[in-house]
Amino acid sequence: MDEETTQRCACLDLPALPLQLLLRTEPDWVGGPVVVVDEDRPQGRVLWSNALAWSLRVLPGMRYATALSLVSELRAGVVAHEMILRAQEEVVACLRTFSPRVEPSSTHPGTFFLDATGLERLFAGLSPWGLGVLEALRGRALQGHLAVGFTRFGSFVCSRAEGGPPVRVLECADAETKLAGTVGLERLDLVPEMRDALHRLGIRTLGEFLALPPEGLQRRFGTEAVKLHRLARGDLHDPLQPLPPPPVTARRLLCEQPESDSNRLLFLTKRLLDPLLELLAERHEALQEMRMTLVLEGRSRQLHRLRPAEPTLVASLLLDLLRLRLEGVALEAGVVELQLAVRGVRAEPEQIRLFREGPKRDLAAANRALARVRAELGDETVGHMVVREGHLPEATFAFERLERLDKARPVAEAPLRFVRRVLEKPRRLPPVPRHLRDDGWIPFDVAAGSVVKLHGPYVVSGGWWQKEQQREYHYAQTRRGDLLWIYFDRVERRWFLQGWLE
Amino acid sequence: MTSSYVPLWVKSNFSFLEGASHPDEYVEEAQNLGLRAVALTDRDGVPGVVRAWERARTLGMKLLTGSELTLMDGSSIVLLAMDRPGYANLCRLVTAGRLRSPKGQCRVHWAEVVAHAPGLVALWGGNQSLLSRPEPLADGLTGPLREAFGDRLYALLARHRTPQESASEARVVSRAKALGLQTVAGVEVLYHTPTRRPLQDVLTCIRHGVSLRTAGTLTRPNHLHALPTPEAMHERFSDQLGALERTVEVAARCTFDLSEIRYRYPSERLPDGQTSSSWLRRLTYEGAAERYAGHVPPEVRAQLDRELALIEHLDYGGYFLTMWEIVRFCRELGILCQGRGSAANSAVCYCLGITAIDPVRMGLLFERFLSLERAEPPDIDLDIMHARREEVIQHVYSKYGRMHAAMVANVIRYRFRSAVRDVGKALGLPETMLDRIARGLDYRESFDEARATAEGLEETSPTHRHLVRLVNEIQDFPRHLSIHPGGFLLGHEPVHDLVPIENATMADRTVVQWDKYDVEALGLFKVDLLGLGALTQIDECFELLSRHRGVELTMATIPAEDPETYALCQRGDTVGVFQIESRAQMAMLPRLKPRTFYDLVIEVSIVRPGPITGGMVHPYLRRRNGEEPVVYPHESLRPVLEKTLGVPLFQEQVMRLAVVAADYTPGEADQLRRDMAAWRRSGRIEKHHERIVSRMQAKGIAREFAERVFEQIRGFGEYGFPESHAASFALIAYATAWLRTHYPAEFLCSLLNAQPMGFYSPATLVEDARRNDIEVRPIDVRTSAWACTLEPASPARARPRSPLAVRMGLRYVKSLSASDGARIVERRPFDDLEALVRKTELNEGALNALAEAGALEGFESARRGALWAVRGLSRSRGATLAVPMADATPELEALDALEEVMWDYSRTSHSTRGHPLEALRPALRAQRLPEAREVQRMPDGRRVKYAGLVICRQRPGTASGVVFMTLEDETGFVNVVLWSRVFEQQAILAKSASLLGVSGRIQSEQGVVHLVAEQLWVPRLDGSAPRVASRDFH
Repeated sequence: MDEETTQRCACLDLPALPLQLLLRTEPDWVGGPVVVVDEDRPQGRVLWSNALAWSLRVLPGMRYATALSLVSELRAGVVAHEMILRAQEEVVACLRTFSPRVEPSSTHPGTFFLDATGLERLFAGLSPWGLGVLEALRGRALQGHLAVGFTRFGSFVCSRAEGGPPVRVLECADAETKLAGTVGLERLDLVPEMRDALHRLGIRTLGEFLALPPEGLQRRFGTEAVKLHRLARGDLHDPLQPLPPPPVTARRLLCEQPESDSNRLLFLTKRLLDPLLELLAERHEALQEMRMTLVLEGRSRQLHRLRPAEPTLVASLLLDLLRLRLEGVALEAGVVELQLAVRGVRAEPEQIRLFREGPKRDLAAANRALARVRAELGDETVGHMVVREGHLPEATFAFERLERLDKARPVAEAPLRFVRRVLEKPRRLPPVPRHLRDDGWIPFDVAAGSVVKLHGPYVVSGGWWQKEQQREYHYAQTRRGDLLWIYFDRVERRWFLQGWLE
Repeated sequence: MTSSYVPLWVKSNFSFLEGASHPDEYVEEAQNLGLRAVALTDRDGVPGVVRAWERARTLGMKLLTGSELTLMDGSSIVLLAMDRPGYANLCRLVTAGRLRSPKGQCRVHWAEVVAHAPGLVALWGGNQSLLSRPEPLADGLTGPLREAFGDRLYALLARHRTPQESASEARVVSRAKALGLQTVAGVEVLYHTPTRRPLQDVLTCIRHGVSLRTAGTLTRPNHLHALPTPEAMHERFSDQLGALERTVEVAARCTFDLSEIRYRYPSERLPDGQTSSSWLRRLTYEGAAERYAGHVPPEVRAQLDRELALIEHLDYGGYFLTMWEIVRFCRELGILCQGRGSAANSAVCYCLGITAIDPVRMGLLFERFLSLERAEPPDIDLDIMHARREEVIQHVYSKYGRMHAAMVANVIRYRFRSAVRDVGKALGLPETMLDRIARGLDYRESFDEARATAEGLEETSPTHRHLVRLVNEIQDFPRHLSIHPGGFLLGHEPVHDLVPIENATMADRTVVQWDKYDVEALGLFKVDLLGLGALTQIDECFELLSRHRGVELTMATIPAEDPETYALCQRGDTVGVFQIESRAQMAMLPRLKPRTFYDLVIEVSIVRPGPITGGMVHPYLRRRNGEEPVVYPHESLRPVLEKTLGVPLFQEQVMRLAVVAADYTPGEADQLRRDMAAWRRSGRIEKHHERIVSRMQAKGIAREFAERVFEQIRGFGEYGFPESHAASFALIAYATAWLRTHYPAEFLCSLLNAQPMGFYSPATLVEDARRNDIEVRPIDVRTSAWACTLEPASPARARPRSPLAVRMGLRYVKSLSASDGARIVERRPFDDLEALVRKTELNEGALNALAEAGALEGFESARRGALWAVRGLSRSRGATLAVPMADATPELEALDALEEVMWDYSRTSHSTRGHPLEALRPALRAQRLPEAREVQRMPDGRRVKYAGLVICRQRPGTASGVVFMTLEDETGFVNVVLWSRVFEQQAILAKSASLLGVSGRIQSEQGVVHLVAEQLWVPRLDGSAPRVASRDFH
């Protein structure tokens, strides 16, 4: 870098990012007073409020109930932390196309710092560069302001300045200081207690704050206030701390000609896999997941996600999973491009131990086998039953995906007299004939014969708030001795087979 | 034909958040189904039984009384009262379980069940019972149970068609056989009709704090908990018909009826040789001699004899002696009290010192209070100064004992706001959304489809429909028991033989499971000890007069018929005067122009929904002003209506009217009064309509007048005053008006110290005093006490109304506790701020509050400077270095005049420095907006724009949606009328704006000025508009 080049730091402010995310999911609320709260209760705290709510004195830190007493039509929602993290990742990925050095703020979710040094040469000026950034974010339904200044803190404060153009390029360091001095403290996301206490003292702007004696500040407001004071004075070294460049954990390969043969595809994939495993090994990680994308002729894509039984760096094991998957894949056209991305996790000592005594029941082997099943037949094929509280038979259990098999812990129970088999979807039965002939009602299977005895009814009804259910359950004994579990649906006025007893 | 049966296990909505039907709905439904009897067995008590019994009595149904008791092991058993001792045992058992448990819960021991078995039938079964559970039964349990109950212990076969019931029933049957118990059939009835099933699910969710989607098996598996028809029961128990028929046998064994409750009032301890009657007579005549200065007039003597004879005949002497004893206790301890209500019709009460109105002199109707024909317990309500009422309550507990005295319950019921919150939560709607909807609902507003749609609920979604339906269905459902403001139930026998007693939330209070309607329905005696802020104020005012002026006064020695006091009333200058201070009263006073005490009695009564809805107000005023002749609809009504110029204004007149004009017997007239009181609850008043109107017409009274009288009867239901009650209140009104007239500083000081009470906020009281040239000084940490105090007024003041000034007390600083205040007062004097911080050891919050309130101005004139200083001092407190750190004070912006006032308001809810609009007056004047006093002088019909602070919003039920607002500025009040159309168009502004602009037309009549609003707006001002708290829609 040219030594004469002046360091330029930009700050992007996506005001109340969680609020913007909330409005992305609740577009009908746009135009009204809206807040984000920390929990969905009247006593939940307001974390963010939009401009309209703010103008009506609904400030962060208030209880929702209090805010509601000020603004009766106030709408509120909770934005999950994960949603904010995902949005931050999305914004960082977007900003990386404008600057190689990007730092998301660790304390303000909507604030991002960018190194803008020298970028005016690439973008015909810093203003066009900034406008490009905002335009790209608008495409993601996010609104913001950007200030290009000279220091990290200065650009942050200037990005919060009221009014002005969406992109503000400050010409000199003095201009940055001057503008920063006019910015209201309430716009700087200070701790609410400090913000309010300063407001009561008549200290409303950063400039007024700077005029306070530092020793008096320390005594009254503690180290946080002093740090802010030093930052504002420029006494604190405050460099940009960009995220490290994303590690290369993905590779791609263009096929010379469209490829449909699974063996050859496996061979090509191995060329991608080996260097990625080396990379993971250098980082003391083991592979936890692979994502293989097959780009087909005509540009359609197939995405395959594979997970070994446990994190590993053993190529043969992984290639075996890839082989199983590729053998099962139906390709409508030849593959023209292969992409492979891997995700690693820190390797456990267990994984690198040379000699391990295998237990009699090898859980690891079972998990490897299940991984192979997943690889061959898909992720949804491996699952287990969990018991739920509910009245309807189908509500009393659920089939959940099984990521990993744990050691079995059987509970000693009295031997069951019957085993109940439950159909995943109840099967419709023929109606009871109005005039029973000699052979009676044969609901299910001619071989099982007609029903000779009915036990019941046992009534289950409810679900009126979504879909009304009213079932009269019976145990039907057939001539052959089968015990059927059937019900009459009062709403549909039909008989169904729910399962049977063995 | 199917055999009949009796439902023995029935839970109403008094099994809080479980049962989904009212008790009377069960009785009605049982009759519709052709059943001859029905039981009510609410969970852990009998709170709903009186309602069911009343309905059963009306319909000629048999009601079985019982309860489902919860045991310490979490299991349950149903107990039914066979006879009176059995019922007493049930109540005692519940009481034991309740008093050992936290509020709302009840747990009894098996040993207690065994001990209370006499007179009870036990039904043991259901999925919560030990008999049906898989665990083996302990021998130590079954033996004593079998022994205690004998053949009155039945095994309950409960069938709800669930798969688990087959196994549990098999266990019950086999155990019953082993124990030699007979079986009886039953269904756990939770609602009277299957359509209530959704509501029962929702109630379950509310009880467990879950939503319908997450409730799992907490809700019932099916809808078979409705009251079954005999046919349905026959089908359900077709294989156990013997058990079904046994329900009838059980019902036949249970002969107890609530009417068997024989109540005896507790006897007072009497001097040797005295009976209740003779002691009461002696006390009465001693009191009479005192009241009439030794010369009891013959007519008073005659009245006393008549009353005493009746009291003796009805054996009510004990009750009067109790009230006398309580009043004597109050007098001895200097606790101001005064009887109200119909007791003021009694000369005995007057002579005993219970009431302060001479009924003979006022010609009040004794029969309204007590009559031989009615023979119902008299109702004496005693107002006690609210600051010391708890002392009196604890005196009653200690005198009679916890088992003979308990407070009456108050049933907290669902209203729209609470229903939206709870039902919506059960439906899984976001709580923040529900809170928003609930807050937007006026308590009188209903919640319908249109309202739900307006709140943003999608019209087509099922949740929308469910919310609207269930919120309406749950209306009036009891949610839990609370405590009546002052009603006591006293009994000669232990109260827990009448009704279970349980703990109240408030410490040292116990409460019965019945509310005042239940107590009245059973003819039990209730002693009402009510708190009244005005008495606290008067007491404090007398104390101030004694201390600062050497004037000794009591309620009885306040000079009567004082012209200056009436002049004040005629001006409507009555801020802070008891009962006649409201916006409506202040508007009425210049029209009615009270000149005598009886005028005040009328003033108190006339601004009530009863006379207003009855259209009686304007005719009375016109007649009083000589604008229309005083005529009577019929000559026979002249004696009834003469006092009120031919217009009925009091409850007693309505009763007399019914007797004279509609040939009601006194008993029927009394029933009319009761139905009047209960009409909103039951609609019973309608049955009187045709009878009253047609009989009056038959006597030659115009239908229009007859209809008007009936409308007034209807209106009286909840809001009409009896004359005696109005007279008692008028006495307090007169006393406070007299104090305001002659001792305004003492009046204000005592009023501020009695807060919260009355109609106006402290800010308005202070503003009113300032306008009346009373000096009010700000809070000062150097001189203020905890309460407001009096100091010599500044001699420099131009027109002093009082030689004393009021110093605001530290109690008005928000966030300052009483203990903080005490430390400040005890550790004074302080040389400087540092000394204050060091000596008082107040925390930073309290110091900040004092600084912001301006209470530290004696040390640091700028409030921001004081704030900076105390923050530094409090945070460096406890520093180990003794050397003071140099601490430069920065230049902080001084508060402007408006900011000073607004800081006062935010920290103390008032300002002695000025009104918030004073500083804004130039800006308002520039917009050609007048002051309140200018508006008051404007002629009728003038169009005007005005802006003021909203201090009160009212939407009376009698005003057909019209909203009344009081706006205030530094010169006075402006009363604004909003027709419903204007209100609905600008509801948000009308409901929420603090500083409000109004465009409209002046309506001026007989010195009463209203601004009839045509449009509302937000005044344009630099900076933020001031915000003050208003008293809204109370």
